[in-house]
Amino acid sequence: MTLPVLNVDAARSYPPRISEFTKTFWDALGQGRWITTRCKCCDRQTFPPKPVCPHCWSTEVEWSELSPCGTLYSWTRIHAAPAVFSSEAPYAVGIVDLDSGIRLACRLVESEAIPLQVNMPVEMVVLHHRDGPLFAARAAT
Amino acid sequence: MTRRVAIIGTSAIPVGRHQTADDAALQTLEHEIMTRLVVEAVRDAGVDKKDIQSLVFTLPRPYTRQKYFHTFLMGQLRLACRGNVMEVMGNGMTAALAFDQACNDILLGRANVALALGINMESAVSAAEHMMSSMRTTGDVDFHTSAGFTPIAWYAMDAMRYMHEHGATREQLGAVAVKNRHHASLNPLAQFRKPVTLADVVAQRPIVEPLGLYDVPPRGDGAACLVLASEEVAKSLGRPYVLVRGRGFCHDGSHQISDVPNDMIAFDSVRQASATAYEEAGIGPDQIDLAELYAPCTIVEVLVSEAIGLVPRGQGARAAFDGETRLGGRIPISTSGGLTSRGHPAYVTSLYNYLELAEQLRGRAGDRQVQGARFGVATGELGNYNAAMVHVLEAMQ
Repeated sequence: MTLPVLNVDAARSYPPRISEFTKTFWDALGQGRWITTRCKCCDRQTFPPKPVCPHCWSTEVEWSELSPCGTLYSWTRIHAAPAVFSSEAPYAVGIVDLDSGIRLACRLVESEAIPLQVNMPVEMVVLHHRDGPLFAARAAT
Repeated sequence: MTRRVAIIGTSAIPVGRHQTADDAALQTLEHEIMTRLVVEAVRDAGVDKKDIQSLVFTLPRPYTRQKYFHTFLMGQLRLACRGNVMEVMGNGMTAALAFDQACNDILLGRANVALALGINMESAVSAAEHMMSSMRTTGDVDFHTSAGFTPIAWYAMDAMRYMHEHGATREQLGAVAVKNRHHASLNPLAQFRKPVTLADVVAQRPIVEPLGLYDVPPRGDGAACLVLASEEVAKSLGRPYVLVRGRGFCHDGSHQISDVPNDMIAFDSVRQASATAYEEAGIGPDQIDLAELYAPCTIVEVLVSEAIGLVPRGQGARAAFDGETRLGGRIPISTSGGLTSRGHPAYVTSLYNYLELAEQLRGRAGDRQVQGARFGVATGELGNYNAAMVHVLEAMQ
């Protein structure tokens, strides 16, 4: 299963750095695959992906699928933005609780049809920028 | 007898615009402000230069040209010490750490008199430029900053969640800003002193929804110096002092957000840190007479007032709206004007909070005096209250 991909005709305003370890995540995201690390010892997922399990400190981790759906725990719309994001402002960001039990924070893609509301169902999407991908959430369709 | 720590002297410049632009013909120099403040605070304390054996500075902003500011100032003052001289840093908790570390030096016996001091200059740098740095402090620089999160965006999400869970209104949150502006109108150190109405607060442009301009902290410069001493020294001076009765710290093991879903607006770290501090002080939150909270936004004051037991859970915004937290109310909070109106020179903000408690508990707060105040509580934090530092202070006449 892959995430919906939305094309964005601009480079990312503040691109993430990529390490040999996180390259797996960003490359997968670029192909619409939504993954993170799972600990082989305690079986827990963590996000963002980490080479050391934050729960049991095992270094034996493997890549695993994340749930593409969740609920919006909270959100805001940022009007006063840092210089590199000023052309995008105002923009919405939020905290998503994925159905598989991971909480994360990301950009939100707004739609006029469904206004943002706490606890609304959301789905993850890939923002396919000119220079690479970012992950985001939007109202579930 | 166990050593105890007292605050015996204070000084500060009014929070506001002090930093000069790079091309200004006449520049404001940080060390000139700071040396005057040290002399003023030490005079207020009534101790001698030679009594000072430790100095804990807050880290200056990167915009301060003089590097190694702390040891530079030792040279400006020809101050020789055998305790400790250092700069500390902990994001928003920086000044709380400076205070706490100065306490430690006295408790360890390294010093009988110690200074907690610092200067924060940033107002000549635009908000958009400053945020290029501050956006890298809260969250994961690769996984969060890339989405455009800013420090106060996290508090805004606290507000959105709080309004959803407890049915609090925009007006109830705004009441915190109105109340704090009233307090600031009575504080000569405050940055914004002109009273505002609830209609003014609600009408401001949005900054991070649902928070508008008056719900979020202004940017400003500040500098302050606190003189701490062993209780023995404080007693020998024969005038009122403020005793540090309890301390507590807690880091919740997350940075900005927990990937294991939790109750984000419970602010568990400050609940735990305050429990530790109350226990050490041997009192409960019902005995607190006033509070100076590290609360950059209106919502944060509400959540902290609940987490440290001053107001029941879910009732903080209503309590502010009903005047319970106003001067003259049941439990006055942010009598200085708080971060939203007294001002928020971030790395020294907590020094101003301790200074306000020291003024109040020594009966020197003038028109904003909380009559008969005996116990005060101060909080410091970093992140979205992922870590918290709490101090309980007591008036000693």
